[in-house]
Amino acid sequence: MPQFDTQFFPSLIFWELISFGILCAVLYKFAFPPILAALDAREQKIRDSLEQAERHRAEAEQRLQDYDAKLRDAAREAEAVVADAKAKAQRLLEDNERRLRAEAKRMRDETTRELERERRKAAQELRKETANLAVAVAEQVLGRSLSDDDHRRLAQDALQAVADGNATGFVNTDGK
Amino acid sequence: MNDPLHLFELHPLVTLTPFGVDVSLNKAALMMFLVAGLVILLMTGARASGSLIPTKLQSVAELLVEFIRGMIHDTMGRDGMRFFPLIASLFLFILFCNLLGLIPGAYTVTSQLAVTGVFAVGVYVLSLVVGFRLHGAKFLGILVPPGTPGWLVPLMIPIEIISQLARPVSLAVRLFANMTAGHVILGVLFALTISGGWALGWLPFSFTVALYGLEVGIAFIQAYIFTVLTCVYMGDALHPH
Repeated sequence: MPQFDTQFFPSLIFWELISFGILCAVLYKFAFPPILAALDAREQKIRDSLEQAERHRAEAEQRLQDYDAKLRDAAREAEAVVADAKAKAQRLLEDNERRLRAEAKRMRDETTRELERERRKAAQELRKETANLAVAVAEQVLGRSLSDDDHRRLAQDALQAVADGNATGFVNTDGK
Repeated sequence: MNDPLHLFELHPLVTLTPFGVDVSLNKAALMMFLVAGLVILLMTGARASGSLIPTKLQSVAELLVEFIRGMIHDTMGRDGMRFFPLIASLFLFILFCNLLGLIPGAYTVTSQLAVTGVFAVGVYVLSLVVGFRLHGAKFLGILVPPGTPGWLVPLMIPIEIISQLARPVSLAVRLFANMTAGHVILGVLFALTISGGWALGWLPFSFTVALYGLEVGIAFIQAYIFTVLTCVYMGDALHPH
C-alpha cells in the first residue's frame, strides 16, 4: 500500500503540522472568538426576549385581572346605585301615599265636622221655629195676647227648655 | 492504472530537502493547504458578517461551531471549552479533508496513516500532558478503574496500560482505514465500470452512486468519531474518575 511508503512520511507530517498549525492559529485568533461571542449574544438575546415576553405576559394578565376587578366593582356600584334609586323611589311613593291618605282623612274629618255643625244649626233653627209655632198656637188657644215682654220671656224659657232637652219647663210656663 | 491503490500514491511536485529531510511538496500537502484555506475562508467569512441575524454562510459556520461546542459540553463539561479552538480546528480539518477527498481527482489526506497518526498521537500525548499537569501523579489513577478489588490491581494495571496505548493506535487506524477502504471500493467499482463497457458498466456505476452518498456520510461520521474520542480522552485528563 502506498500509505506505508515511509518515503513520504516526513513531507506529509511536515506539511500537516504547518497547515494545521496555520489553521489552528488563524481560527483561534480571528474566527472562533467572534463566532462564539455571536452565539452567546444570540442566546442571551433569545433568553432576554423570552424573559421579556414572559414578563409582558404576566403584566398583561395582571392588567386584565385589574380591569376585571374594576369592571366588577363598577358593576357592583351600578347595582348599588340602581338599588338605592329604587329604594328612594319606593320611599317617596310611600311618603306620598301616606301624605295623601292623611290629607284625605283630614278632609273627611273636616267634612264630617262641618256636617255635624250644619246639622246642629239646622236642629237649632228647627227648635226655634217649633217654639215660635208653639207660641203662636198657644196664643191662639189661650185667646189672649201676650205682651212683647211675655213673648220674649216665654220664648226664652222655651228655648232654654229645648236647649236643656227638658220639655217640662215649657209645660210649666204653659201651666202658669 | 488497474491498481485500485494507485490513487493513494504520491509524487513529489516540488522537491524540497532542507537539512537533508525530504519535505517535497506533493498533492497531499496542497490538499492540506486547500483545506486549511477553505476552513479559514468559511469561518472568517462568517465572522465578517457576525450579526445577530445570521447570513447563510454564518449559519453554516455557527452550526458547525455549535455542534462542536455541544460535543465538548457533553463529553468534557463546560471547562472543556478551553480546548475548543484545538478540537474545533481538528474537527473542521478532518471533515474538510474527508469531504474534499471525495471530489474525483482530489487527494484524501486522511487516507494517509502518517497524517491520522500524527493527529492521534498528538491528541493522546496532549491528553496525557494535561492530565499530569492538572492532577500530577494522581493521574496514574486512571490505570485503576474505581471499584477494582485490591487483588485485581496487578492484573488491571497492565490491561489498562494496553487499553491506553490502544487509544492513539485505534484513533489513527480507524480514520485511515475508513477513508482508504471507501476510496478503494469506489476505485474498484469505477474500474469495473470502465471495463464493463456500455453493456455491463451501468451496474457497478449505479453502485458507485450509492456508495458515494454513503462515503459522504462516512466522511462526516469519521470526523465526528475522531473528534468525539478526542474529547473523551481530553475529558478523562480533565476529570479522571
